[in-house]
Amino acid sequence: MKPTQHPKTSALLFGVVLFQALTLQAGNVREELAGSKFRLVHEVYANNNWELFVTSADGKSSANLTNTPDVNELYPQASPDGAKICFLVDSGKGRATVRSLWVMNSDGTGRKKVTDRARQQCWAPDSQTIAFLPQEYPKFNVTDYYTKGISFHHLPSGNTREHVNTKPLHHLYNISYAPNGKWIVATVHAGMGHRHTNLLIEANGSKIINLGIDGCRPTFSPDGKHIAWGAGDHELAVVPIDIESDNPKLGKKVFQVFDKQNKIYHVDWSPDGRFLSFSRGPNGKGDITKPGTYEAACEIVGVHAKGWDIFAVKVARGGSVTIGHKPVYDWQPLTRNGYSNKESDWFLPPSK
Amino acid sequence: MTLQQFTGALGLLALGLANGCGPAQSSPAEPQLVTTASGVSMIVIPAGSFQMGSDEHEADERPRHEVRLGTFLMDQFEVTHDLFVKAQLPNPSCWQDDSRKPVERVRWREAKLYCNERSLMEELTPCYDEAKPGWPCDFNANGYRLPTEAEWEYAARAGSSRLYSFGDVAKLKANGWFADNAGKRTHVVGTRRPNAWGLHDLYGNVSEWCQDVYAPDYYKSSPAHDPLGPAEGIADTKRVMKGGSWKASASMCRASFRKGQRTGDTDACFFTDYCGFRCVRRVMAAEVESFLGKSSPEK
Repeated sequence: MKPTQHPKTSALLFGVVLFQALTLQAGNVREELAGSKFRLVHEVYANNNWELFVTSADGKSSANLTNTPDVNELYPQASPDGAKICFLVDSGKGRATVRSLWVMNSDGTGRKKVTDRARQQCWAPDSQTIAFLPQEYPKFNVTDYYTKGISFHHLPSGNTREHVNTKPLHHLYNISYAPNGKWIVATVHAGMGHRHTNLLIEANGSKIINLGIDGCRPTFSPDGKHIAWGAGDHELAVVPIDIESDNPKLGKKVFQVFDKQNKIYHVDWSPDGRFLSFSRGPNGKGDITKPGTYEAACEIVGVHAKGWDIFAVKVARGGSVTIGHKPVYDWQPLTRNGYSNKESDWFLPPSK
Repeated sequence: MTLQQFTGALGLLALGLANGCGPAQSSPAEPQLVTTASGVSMIVIPAGSFQMGSDEHEADERPRHEVRLGTFLMDQFEVTHDLFVKAQLPNPSCWQDDSRKPVERVRWREAKLYCNERSLMEELTPCYDEAKPGWPCDFNANGYRLPTEAEWEYAARAGSSRLYSFGDVAKLKANGWFADNAGKRTHVVGTRRPNAWGLHDLYGNVSEWCQDVYAPDYYKSSPAHDPLGPAEGIADTKRVMKGGSWKASASMCRASFRKGQRTGDTDACFFTDYCGFRCVRRVMAAEVESFLGKSSPEK
């Protein structure tokens, strides 16, 4: 016969156990990231100019990587090996703006232009090839899906080639390469016969699969077993996927991040797949009194986003996190100045 | 731009509207069809006055009041996919199966951008200042812009004071694409009857952005001559949409019906699949003379 317990004692013990379980599941993001060697490169609008900053994984240190008062750098993407960063540069004003694709070493040295009128780039798994989306028309437009086709630039040879099935690829944005090199995931808006959806595009073939999920900006986890994306203005989600299949299908959501008040966008995986970073801030349409910026939704590349910061959250399978007003165990602000911090990308700098 | 350039660019065409032209109040001339330098069909809407709003329907349509407007040009059709692409703008539309369909899912800002692009294509002065927050409109510029709510309703009524320019709701199916006949999609522009002034699809197909800020009580204080709408708001103010759409009821297609619509300017993706537009532009007195076949100072 088991000894009896007072009901209040039982409730107290249950509460302690539940609290410990939740805490263990969520982890303490702040402490775990404090010892990390990971870095995040992201956009910042500083001193009337777009710059790329590199911030430590716990957000305690941050440095201006580009430091170019006369050049607007945007949309940084770190190579899988952490050695290089490709990014965009906006030159000129208004419809005469030229958005070009550049690459540099991840320490900021060795800047080199790749091509003009390109955007929404990502790295292939070889860390030597950059996939990018050519602009739809020569004239500038800030719209994210203002693209036509996919092209690849091979850095060692300097050669650029079109995707083998580039002709029907229209109005894609936010491409992300699967780690096995087999697929590219992207959002399409008003193109390719779709109103709006997310697609898997065969990297070296003509197969295109509609993933059938709303939202935008999908990105593969480093092991290729999951996709994270913005399921809405106020939700990020993670689903499993089998990229080795010839007809990959998505599973059910295994992790979600919610924010009831602010928009949350631009999700990216840490190199070990344990954390997600994202941009978070209030709704708005920019401030075109700021040089080098445009008027559109704040989450669009090149739009000034007052009050936006970079956040990190630990991926807890089967869980969800709601971002509130105070940092708790399972989420952490990495920037706090609100200087239009957007489009973060994690990387592990190569050891010297 | 000189008159000579303008008339050469327009390739003035007379439109046989005499039979269909209703009793335009205070209208000094009949409407004329012209083709602009970039190949867009427009109607010269004669100056005149009309009774705007309705005392018998929604609260925001009251009071019915007299409005007087100057001459202006209005697109004969809603802006199509063809025109949007010609301006090198990304087509946001749902139904891309026919490029002669009206563009939809167009944010208010994108509609204004198209107006400016078309102005630049025709070497006119853009109305919208893209360097200033909110892109304020210069109504004195000679380029294209969105119609004011008053201009839109005046053109839609085409001299009629009834619910629709063509009469009552029984004739709506022949005159516009709306929920009862559209089959839940847009249709090629100009496939329903024009109104008495030769304008198509003002009733249905896509709802049309206007320049005005939407305020439900604006008619109580709006000026009688060329009203431009309430003062600009700071935030993402609602703007007036007119004309109903493929998904609207017959009542929402009435000439006096008003809808306050969020602009979509703060949305990364804008899914409102009934938001389209058409352009207007002011015309100089000398240009009007040329439209009406009268003497011009340069002849």
